[in-house]
Amino acid sequence: MKVVTGVVGNDIHVVANRLIDISLQARGFEVFNLGVNTSLEEFIDAVVETDADILLISSLNGEAEGWCRDLQFLRSEYNLREDVIFVIGGNLAVGEANQDDIIPKYRSYGFDLVFHQVDLNTGLDELERYVKERA
Amino acid sequence: MSKLLIDVGSTYFKVCQQSGINQYFRDFNKDIFDDLLNKCGDIFSNYAKEDIYICSSANGGLSTLIIGLTNSFSLKFAKNIAFNSGINIIDTILYHKIDEAKAPGELIDVVILVGGIDGIANVFDEKLFHFLRNVHYNNIVYVGTKQDAMFLSENIQELKVLGNIITEKLHVNGGELKEYLTNLYQADIVGKEDIKHLYAITANQIYSTPYIVNRSLPLIDANFDVVNPFIVVDIGGATTDIHYSRDLVRDNIVSESGFDRLVFKKLGVYKSRETLIFAAKNNEFVYELLAYLNVTENILEEESEKALRILMQLSIFLVLYKVSRLHPLYVTLHLEQLKTVVLTGGITKVLSYEEAESIMQFFYKKVLGLHAIPNIVMDYEYAIWTLGMQNDTASRS
Ligand code: B12
Repeated sequence: MKVVTGVVGNDIHVVANRLIDISLQARGFEVFNLGVNTSLEEFIDAVVETDADILLISSLNGEAEGWCRDLQFLRSEYNLREDVIFVIGGNLAVGEANQDDIIPKYRSYGFDLVFHQVDLNTGLDELERYVKERA
Repeated sequence: MSKLLIDVGSTYFKVCQQSGINQYFRDFNKDIFDDLLNKCGDIFSNYAKEDIYICSSANGGLSTLIIGLTNSFSLKFAKNIAFNSGINIIDTILYHKIDEAKAPGELIDVVILVGGIDGIANVFDEKLFHFLRNVHYNNIVYVGTKQDAMFLSENIQELKVLGNIITEKLHVNGGELKEYLTNLYQADIVGKEDIKHLYAITANQIYSTPYIVNRSLPLIDANFDVVNPFIVVDIGGATTDIHYSRDLVRDNIVSESGFDRLVFKKLGVYKSRETLIFAAKNNEFVYELLAYLNVTENILEEESEKALRILMQLSIFLVLYKVSRLHPLYVTLHLEQLKTVVLTGGITKVLSYEEAESIMQFFYKKVLGLHAIPNIVMDYEYAIWTLGMQNDTASRS
């Protein structure tokens, strides 16, 4: 399966991005890593050019919300395949925040899986489970 | 024996000998060859054909229409390669919006089609063929996913298929396309009747001037007082070119040369004067700028020497504006990091250093909010192009 990944917006926290790249490859995914400082449009464009199955966005500095609101819009704009899986994780709010507020919010933006301050391997296990269930 | 270098521009001939560079205003009633012979025939007789090198920007270059799958990859990569091959981009079309796109009215020299990494298929379909039926073009080249090449070749006559410019890691691979476009450009120059005649006086290949200038850039700091990163602004009669160090851009393109080029086809001060004025009048800063220069809008309609200087100042301003962050349509250069601006072309014969400096001060203060401006180098002799040519003669001899 093909995964496009990277860190959204003005975010330059690169360590998690490298780990995500390595972990996904170890789990057998074909990875297209756009690195830090990536706009939402670049993510969607990369999904289109590679015909990827999964978009996995990471955000650490707390600014994801401002960058990801237009997901639904871009998704329809490009007539993306219906079955592309959208995942986001990292620190999805500024400071302390409640999971029960964050998850529904990002779901409403169009993300299928939302991992706020969840350990990477836990998140990727869940992603694989989700992929299997959908198949 | 020394060399003779000749640059055929849209407005001037420049002739460079060991003794220095001379410029001759062109007579547009004569063809290029007759005009050149008339003005410089005596000089040619002192040189062997092998020692005469010619470049030309008189024919305005080739035009392209690019159709691509996304802005961030297909179109961005193809645009970058086209610019660097000296090709003028007439329009770009995002493939998923091709139904709403309007075919350009003019004849296109080359259409570029691109989309998808190798391994994915069915990117293009009937919509493309339908659209192409309304486009007048001379050449068409495909540089997208391998899997679609066969299908497209079956449906598009004379389609040239080259290697994908998008690598499997989503990086750019421009080699084949750049070579193809450069050859097309070269063939176009050589094919121009006017230019063909020039082979009567030279035994060497005639190149396009932008190609030669681009080749001069790595040699500039050895010959001028230039600090990296720098830009070279070449304001000519018909077009304005900007060559810039790649250090000034932040994007996902890795280019081999370290320098890129943008052409503003309609910002020249003679042949495209009307469009320059139009662009100026539509710029949000223009009235403030004219006031700063102590003139009124009426100056734009005048034919005086003073009006020409103002136009040249305007074109410097407009070019910088178009590559600044206020104008995201073109590349965005990080002008705040710029160390040197080299001004070349017809402009250096007209504008004084102080006039160039004053317009730079206005731009940096107004648009970027900065007080310090980069160092300005005036290429008064219009010597930059001779570096690239001398490089050529050196590598051959
Ligand atoms: C190192 C660091 C920096 C370095 C970054 C260097 C670099 N190029 O990477 C520097 C100093 C530059 C920096 C700058 C800033 N930082 Co900082 N930084 C950190 C720090 C200390 C460690 C980050 C790190 O690398 N961790 C190691 C990696 C492996 O862990 P991780 O990033 O947390 O990722 C894990 C999980 O989040 C998860 N994960 C990540 N993405 C995804 C995606 C999915 C799908 C899943 C399932 C899981 C997942 O997996 C990873 C492994 O488990 C953290 C604090 C901390 N202790 O976490 C702050 C922190 C991330 N930074 C923070 C801030 C605010 C900033 C600045 C805004 C500070 C400022 N005012 O200038 C700037 C922003 C710069 C920018 N434009 O992005 C905040 C973010 C707060 C928030 N979101 O509420 C943090 C949390 C510090 C804090 N407690 O306030 N920072």
